[in-house]
Amino acid sequence: MTFGDFQAVKDTSFDLPKGKFLTILGPSGSGKTTLLRLIAGFEKPTVGEIFINGQPVNAVPPYKRAIGMVFQKLALFPHMTAAENVAFPLKMRRHDARNIGKQVERYLELVKLGGYGTRRIHELSGGQQQRVAIARALVFEPDLLLLDEPLAALDVKLREEMQLEFRRIQKELGVTTINVTHDQREALVVSDEIIIMNDGAIQQKAQPVRAYRAPENPFVAHFIGVTNFIEAVAVSANGSTVTLTCKGRELVGVLAAGSAGLAQAARCTCAIRAEQVRIAPSQDRLGKLETQVRGQVNDAIFEGERIVYEIKVAELGDVLMKVFDHDPVGHLQFGPGDIVHLGWNAKDLHVFAK
Amino acid sequence: MRTYRVAYPLTWRAMDVLEAFVAFVWPPSFRAAVPYLFLLPALILVGLLVLGLIQIADTSMRVLDRDTFLLSDAYSLDNYRRALTEPFFATIAGRSIIGSLIVTVITLVFAFPYAYLMVRTSSSALRKFLLVALFLPFFIGQVVRAYGWLIILGNQGIVNDILGHAGIPTLRLLYNYPAVLFGLVQYMLPFAVLMLAPALTAIPEELEAAAGSLGASWLKTFRHVVLPLARPGLVGAGLVVMTLSLTDFAIPAMLGGGSQDFIANAIYDQFFRTSDQGLGATLSLLLVAVGSLLVGVVFTAFGAGTLAMGGRRK
Repeated sequence: MTFGDFQAVKDTSFDLPKGKFLTILGPSGSGKTTLLRLIAGFEKPTVGEIFINGQPVNAVPPYKRAIGMVFQKLALFPHMTAAENVAFPLKMRRHDARNIGKQVERYLELVKLGGYGTRRIHELSGGQQQRVAIARALVFEPDLLLLDEPLAALDVKLREEMQLEFRRIQKELGVTTINVTHDQREALVVSDEIIIMNDGAIQQKAQPVRAYRAPENPFVAHFIGVTNFIEAVAVSANGSTVTLTCKGRELVGVLAAGSAGLAQAARCTCAIRAEQVRIAPSQDRLGKLETQVRGQVNDAIFEGERIVYEIKVAELGDVLMKVFDHDPVGHLQFGPGDIVHLGWNAKDLHVFAK
Repeated sequence: MRTYRVAYPLTWRAMDVLEAFVAFVWPPSFRAAVPYLFLLPALILVGLLVLGLIQIADTSMRVLDRDTFLLSDAYSLDNYRRALTEPFFATIAGRSIIGSLIVTVITLVFAFPYAYLMVRTSSSALRKFLLVALFLPFFIGQVVRAYGWLIILGNQGIVNDILGHAGIPTLRLLYNYPAVLFGLVQYMLPFAVLMLAPALTAIPEELEAAAGSLGASWLKTFRHVVLPLARPGLVGAGLVVMTLSLTDFAIPAMLGGGSQDFIANAIYDQFFRTSDQGLGATLSLLLVAVGSLLVGVVFTAFGAGTLAMGGRRK
């Protein structure tokens, strides 16, 4: 998809089996919304073809595609009641007027808004408006449901509640769903499958656990979770196990799935999640962790259920590493300046060739 | 305290003095009156207008003495009887009211797509062009514009010239009812577009996309989403166009050539031709009454639209 000289979406071939919940995850400007608008038919692709149910739809206008969409700002009709909003797609599709009322009621029940039908849109709360938008997008039993970051504007509690709600409804109806978001948590919580996008291209397509545990490139590792990066040089490789050096210090890691084989002395980026690094006051408390380094606490941030430490590691070229401490029982806390020991398992260090 | 003050910059101390002076002239307890103070000029202007209306009401009840050409001292409703019963005035009133209604409908039909395109186009060049084209006529006065139409539509005008080359005999395009209505529509179009544009801007484009994804074709989206949401703008624009056309003077005078007078022209004649100020005042008051009545009917039927200034908008 090209706007002027700008390629908003390129290289984005993927297919989605019936009944699955797919999330397209990416930062703003990554082309995820453009992709969704292409699927909905609001934009025409400059090259390529989109198929729905095996039928090419490039020449089909939006109103003839059976796609339900929940918009970022919901786009509910302010001059209609909740029930009239939900009835709109049925009326437009010339459903039998006698069945429209029943169908509308059924879907208002589904989103737990039974009895709210006569309310005007501005008389409903943010969460209730969200539910009306979902009911309206689903009431005509579309082939495909598109969600364009509809939860972005909600506060955290409501957002998390609605994420589970989306998941429940999607499972209940079995409707194929494509969700677009920049919220990694939402992507992990709701999806069967995640596509991570950047610069208009797919970075990785995987199930949530795999996308999190086995990122295929530094972008994915960086975008999902809190990740530490260490620059290193490859020494030797044995299968997918790689030995590297960083400032004379030997490191062992696992070559990421997407990376090709490593050449000798190839420069690499290594990534390790903040929660996969253990922090301890002395070396013997780290047990059998394969890689152990010494560091100095730079900052300690109390986040409630965990403490985030920023540790300066001189051995690895003064790299600042983020480490989570989830020990709520020990009440042990380090302060800035304290010397600490860090340790992690070799299989958790992902190695990406540059 | 005093030594501490010395450390302040000079401008701060100047401001202190100024504030003390303001507090002396206008104590803080008067502060609530400030907004009303700013309203005063507007109130005076409107008040003067009301005073003028009272004066006109007074004049409207005095009858012209044809021998002395002076207004009678005694009050009578004779002017009102004449204005309401003489067929001459009924014709003019009917022509004005029907004319303003026709002009309103046609203008709204033309203005809507113009405003819609101006608001929705993604090309900033087109938007600028449409805006300039909209404001250009404002730089040309109404009289000059009417005169322009005389040149273009006259018997030796450009249009008849072209028609002549096509072998069509000269058409009488001026000094009739359609010519007046045509001139009025052309004059009112920018007002209508300017009143409609904000109302259309207030309709999120996403709503139209949503209607599309929900199965509404272009036409159905327009009918069920755009039109109902544009209603405040249509009501506001309609009221402005209707009242302006109903009370217009120059276009009926010039493009009607005296044969297509509107109420304003009749009032002018009474004041400055026959010098019957009493009857002129009567017609003026009746025009105000008819205009107010029309506005009132529209307000009750459709709401105040954009003219409600968001006060009671649905």
